[in-house]
Amino acid sequence: MIGYLIILLDHTSASFCHYGNAAGERKLMSVDTLRTAIRYAMVHNWAVQIVYPRYEVPDELKAMIETVDSCRIMPVEIADGSADVVVVDGWDFNKAVMLGKPTTLRITKSELFERYAELMPLLTAVPKLNVVITDVHKFSKADFETYKTVMKDLREKVAGVFLSGGRLSVNLLTDRLMLEQMNNCGAGDTSITLSPDGKFYICPAFYYDAPDDSVGSLCDDDIAIDNAYLYTLKGAPICRHCDAWHCKRCVWMNRLTTREVNTPSHEQCVVAHIERDASRLLLDELNEMGKYEFNSDIPEIDYFDPFETRDLWK
Amino acid sequence: MDVTKKEAPIWNEGMSKNITFIVTKDCQLACKYCYLVGKNAKERMSFDVAKKAIDYILANKHLFEEPSVIWDFIGGEPFLEIDLIDRICDYVKTEMYRLNHPWFNNYRLSFSTNGINYDSDKVQHFIAKNHSHLSIGITIDGTRRKHDLNRVYKDGIRGSYDDVVRNIPLWLKQFPDGGKKVTIASADIPYIKESVMHLYSLGIRQVNINVVFEDVWQEGDDKLFEEQLMLLADEIIDGGWYENYACSFFSETIGKPLDLECDNMNWCGAGRMLSIDAAGNFYPCTRFAAYSLRSKEPIIIGNVNDGINQNLLRPFLTLDLVTQSPRKCIECEVASGCAWCQGENYDAAITNTIYQRSTAICKMHKARVRANNYYWRKLYHKIDMKGGCVRCQGVCNC
Repeated sequence: MIGYLIILLDHTSASFCHYGNAAGERKLMSVDTLRTAIRYAMVHNWAVQIVYPRYEVPDELKAMIETVDSCRIMPVEIADGSADVVVVDGWDFNKAVMLGKPTTLRITKSELFERYAELMPLLTAVPKLNVVITDVHKFSKADFETYKTVMKDLREKVAGVFLSGGRLSVNLLTDRLMLEQMNNCGAGDTSITLSPDGKFYICPAFYYDAPDDSVGSLCDDDIAIDNAYLYTLKGAPICRHCDAWHCKRCVWMNRLTTREVNTPSHEQCVVAHIERDASRLLLDELNEMGKYEFNSDIPEIDYFDPFETRDLWK
Repeated sequence: MDVTKKEAPIWNEGMSKNITFIVTKDCQLACKYCYLVGKNAKERMSFDVAKKAIDYILANKHLFEEPSVIWDFIGGEPFLEIDLIDRICDYVKTEMYRLNHPWFNNYRLSFSTNGINYDSDKVQHFIAKNHSHLSIGITIDGTRRKHDLNRVYKDGIRGSYDDVVRNIPLWLKQFPDGGKKVTIASADIPYIKESVMHLYSLGIRQVNINVVFEDVWQEGDDKLFEEQLMLLADEIIDGGWYENYACSFFSETIGKPLDLECDNMNWCGAGRMLSIDAAGNFYPCTRFAAYSLRSKEPIIIGNVNDGINQNLLRPFLTLDLVTQSPRKCIECEVASGCAWCQGENYDAAITNTIYQRSTAICKMHKARVRANNYYWRKLYHKIDMKGGCVRCQGVCNC
């Protein structure tokens, strides 16, 4: 059931996920559209997330945004104290450190492999760090091995912070410790995206990929997602047999790599399981320290891609 | 002792990799129900493409782990390319031997032909050369009027019955256990009984029939279908044909509710098979090639140069019954035996998914189940009257 409305204020709103947004031309949402969108979300009892572009939006829009409780996702270039999530695209995160807000960091795998050690200042400065590896679908076998090494090192660093009495939160390692069930992106299932011109899409990536394939519009007061069950966990055979509960389970990337929104690629599964395994070892370590209580149980398994266990599924 | 003839087992069923070469998209016929919407005389496979496909397949044993293989050749009409097929088969055999491949001596060469040039010298030479490894099915739909209703030459008028039926005795002599596959569309329904009985009279002991999966059915077709099947049941049982002849319409296992604990498997083998077209593209099944699709883009999972993109196979290999079926199918009281074609599901789906089951045959399946119940009740009764059960005819004490 839809519970979140993601509002793209502008065609150039910052990407906060895997998709890239190369769109150059500004197309700002009108005040009327934003007003209608906010009312639509309120009457449906949906939470609102607002995604900002990299320039200051007009005061009338700002005033309209003030009329509703929302999560404000702002690119670091314009982020200020009013941001709820700061998006950093690349490696220049000094301002994010200064702001100390929950931060989403969009980087490539090569950037992560080469500079992950530099993440610690950001990790310890913000209450929550969400690392998005933008080219996760391009991992090679060699990349998997490198990623295992990176995660081992990161895990040791994170454990060191906990050991010295600190706490931190990073999606790659600590999300899985807190979870007792799947907690994924939810695009098309628990969230829906509104484009600046008032049309609904599964998520921002679907909007940028195929603007003509909307699933409804504000003015028609209608959302119709064809084969909607394929966006749910129940409709995803691999995912419903998986316990990498922190995985983004990106339906856009699924479609990009396997043609089906309900089927993740080998790369997405293995990357999530490398993180799961690092989380497992971190959990063991923290439990041994006896200072923390996590409800989660992460059993040791002998595979990195649940697809390989399909013969055991009933 | 079972007094009913059972369907002949399929060679190494479930243990074989099925690899299909679409050697040509040309055919002498223009059958009215043919699902191949893009047939043409231009797209013929070259030996080079076939060789590259074979080299890739034999060199990547880890991707093809089945203990045996069926090298399948289809068209259009495959025997239009008998010279190419002969060359491909020679190469396959040589390479399997040279590589000491586990499939050597564990393979079949399979053909579905319209039978028109079955008796040609080249085809007969090929059959003599490969007989022990061959499976050949000839398509004949029944009586002349039934067959010629759909199976016409490209002029759209002249039927092909006479050109096919003359080859049936030769085919049965060479393949006495040869089964017949018959496809039923809406216009064929009134001829089902006479067609099956005609095929029996030609000496064909096993008739495998299915209704087309496409949404071609008219109002009332299910009632007509049921009536035809009941007439067929009467004929088979009253005439005692059931002892030596089989018809796949009647099966003791269909028409039950689903037991999802035991059977949530996908019905269709798409994705576990591999098809190769003249351009060297790989498909999860021939039904996903462009010439088979009415309204969707083909699903190409790789090619002879780059190999298979395994990510594109994942949706096929994780398909199950529940995920792709609407609630009415899962809860259907007579669900077992209701089939589907993954390609038709994809072609008919409202999005570009293979996960939306087409239910176009729903009424036809239910009609089949009703006639099937009638068949077995009548057969049980007859056997009981003779003092035995349908399986043992009184030999055991059941």
